[in-house]
Amino acid sequence: MVRKRNRRAARAAFAISLGVALVLGGAAAAPAAPERAEATPIIMGAKNFTEQYVLGQLYTQALRAKGLKVTYKENIGSTEIAAKALTSGRITAYPEYTGVMLSVTFGRQTTPKTALGTYALAKRLWGARGYVLARQTPFQDRDAIAVLRNTATRYGLRTIGDLRKVPDLALAAFPEFETRHIRRGTTAVGMARAYGIRNVDFKPLSGISAYTLLDRGDVQAAGIFTTDAQLTSTKYVVLRDPRNVFGFQHVAPIVSKKLVAEYPRLLPTLNAVSRLLTLKAMIAMNKAVAIDKKTPAAVASAFLKANGLK
Amino acid sequence: MIAGIGTFGDAFSFIVERRELLLEKTVEHLVLSGAALGVALVLAVPLGVWLGHRHRGSFIAINAANVGRALPSLAVIAIGLSVFGFGFTNVLVALVVLAVPPILTNAYVAVDEVEPDAVEAARGMGMTGGQVLRRVELPLALPLLFAGIRTASVYVVASATIAAIAGGGGLGEILFNQASYRTEGLVGAAIVVSLLAFTADAALGGLQRALTPRGLRRKVPAFEPDVVTRTGR
Amino acid sequence: MTNEPVIPEFGEASRCVAENRFFCADWVRDNWAGVLQPALVEHVKLTAIAVAAGFAIAFVAALVAHRFRLVEGPFAAFSAIVYTIPSIALFQLLVPVTGLSVLTVEIALVGYTLLILFRNVLEGLRSTPPEVLEAARGMGCTRRQTLWSVELPLALPAIVAGLRVATVSTIALATIAAFVIPEGLGRPIFVALRDYFKTEIVAAGLLAIALALVADALLVLAQRALTPWAHARRTA
Repeated sequence: MVRKRNRRAARAAFAISLGVALVLGGAAAAPAAPERAEATPIIMGAKNFTEQYVLGQLYTQALRAKGLKVTYKENIGSTEIAAKALTSGRITAYPEYTGVMLSVTFGRQTTPKTALGTYALAKRLWGARGYVLARQTPFQDRDAIAVLRNTATRYGLRTIGDLRKVPDLALAAFPEFETRHIRRGTTAVGMARAYGIRNVDFKPLSGISAYTLLDRGDVQAAGIFTTDAQLTSTKYVVLRDPRNVFGFQHVAPIVSKKLVAEYPRLLPTLNAVSRLLTLKAMIAMNKAVAIDKKTPAAVASAFLKANGLK
Repeated sequence: MIAGIGTFGDAFSFIVERRELLLEKTVEHLVLSGAALGVALVLAVPLGVWLGHRHRGSFIAINAANVGRALPSLAVIAIGLSVFGFGFTNVLVALVVLAVPPILTNAYVAVDEVEPDAVEAARGMGMTGGQVLRRVELPLALPLLFAGIRTASVYVVASATIAAIAGGGGLGEILFNQASYRTEGLVGAAIVVSLLAFTADAALGGLQRALTPRGLRRKVPAFEPDVVTRTGR
Repeated sequence: MTNEPVIPEFGEASRCVAENRFFCADWVRDNWAGVLQPALVEHVKLTAIAVAAGFAIAFVAALVAHRFRLVEGPFAAFSAIVYTIPSIALFQLLVPVTGLSVLTVEIALVGYTLLILFRNVLEGLRSTPPEVLEAARGMGCTRRQTLWSVELPLALPAIVAGLRVATVSTIALATIAAFVIPEGLGRPIFVALRDYFKTEIVAAGLLAIALALVADALLVLAQRALTPWAHARRTA
């Protein structure tokens, strides 16, 4: 007969693993259930790039400094995915760009001519769905097209429309850029339509930054953002957008109405943070994360502390 | 459940509608996998066979598979990227690193465990070491050797999907880009990858059958179990 | 309206980081507590839950299959198929169903470990030599006694071998899961890949490899401790 020791070992192993599974499983599941069934949990979301990581950390840490319990869910994805996460309740707040709210979430073809007009319309549309828009930030971060300085000199590129002069134009950007600004099916949309740019070879970004692709010469143009830290270098030129196809893009946190009602300190705290976010501040923070490789959490914490919000 | 079936239908439409894209990516995928497997074979088979023939180096040869299997492929590819930069070469090196261990171990064990009686008999008949290897050990070692090659090829085809993040191309570019290609693309590309792995395994099974001397042939099972789990080492 | 905010000094990157050298020890030191260690801890937790839960379920299922002599063929075919499906696809497909949380990762990981462990436990149970079973029955053991005193201990090598493979595969799969759900060591790898920041890639990658190798080594020791007779035979 096999030794008692080994029989006991087998039984012990099974009992231990079952116990461990139950305990760990319970521990993992517990935070998912809300502590008080009545209160709406504050779940702050953030999309999937540097500036959003910083914004998410700023708002989350500021709220926590005021004693509120916040769950932070980072890296959700593009606007389409984030908005859906919000309306389905997976998150209950997240910072979004006002122009993108109108063009993407609400599918508007034409947008207001002023930044305040953009904000007011977005506020009204989200209000109808049961969401409050907090104050918008002083800075805006718009989509833009960047090229290497060499490329700009070579083809004489100053505005986006000049891209027509580039033969076999390859452009890299986040995947959603294609359906917003290049083509939907066979119809040209957005930027491509406004400037008459046809036959763009679109390369969706999948984990490699657009600037790296520009540097390597894999593409001639890249869809980037005006607050990107990489733009502080003289290597890149941002093409002008005289037709303003990329709209006005100030940031405003979208918050569920229930949260605003249940947590009176929430909105004022968010607004206190937003008020501080000037273009200079945002670029400095983006640079600290993207170029100096500091963590978004550390950068946000330092900024909030320096301004008395933490 | 019903939505799931619908997605499958969409996936097949995707495969049909975007077949040029899929073909281009599949070719990239196969070239990468094939090259990696080829290099791994050239490196691992001679070494493993030779070590097994001489009954030396068992510790390294057997533990190679364990270490190799433990390596998270994403980590290996990402580190390879940091060493070699973006593109084909880097991913090739990473995939070779992942493919060599199972081939090396199986080659070693296959030759090492050939019936000593058969080897004795051959020596008794006056064959030199090289002749014993070629005429007796190798043919008898084929099944287990091929098991290792098949394991490695399925593993390489699956790992090559991760190559996309390092600029290696292949079907991973669709799999890591659900935003562009949507769920239909994701499922469609996943189906293609599965089919590729199956085909590679079946093709190698056929090759194994063709190379095994008639007297030694037996039914070639699909997905020969891992030699390490089987021998319990 | 807007008061100029105070912009603190966030600290310049060291020359090593600025030049994106292969491995910058200073960055690793500064970010160990904030980035690398939490990721490592998360990864260990993910793996532990997946393997423990997978083992518990697989063990019970295998006992049932063994007792009722269920046919293993279709299951083997099914698991062979599932193994060729790229895990990145499975993770992304689960998100709309089970959400953007650790639960999604765990469901997928438990699924994969189940396949390995079920097969290994069952094979182990079935590997008892018929003579030994005869002997047990001859001595008057009931079915339950035979199971716990004879079949299971003899199945231990296969079970522990299965745990080894399952643990190591789970560690690898969990790195890929980070593409969808930001948990574990895969997260710093994917974040750093975007900007091609070598140090973070290498640091997180090496940690993942080290974790896998250490786990494997520990399980080998456990295997040796639990099955002394298997190794006694080898040296004979």
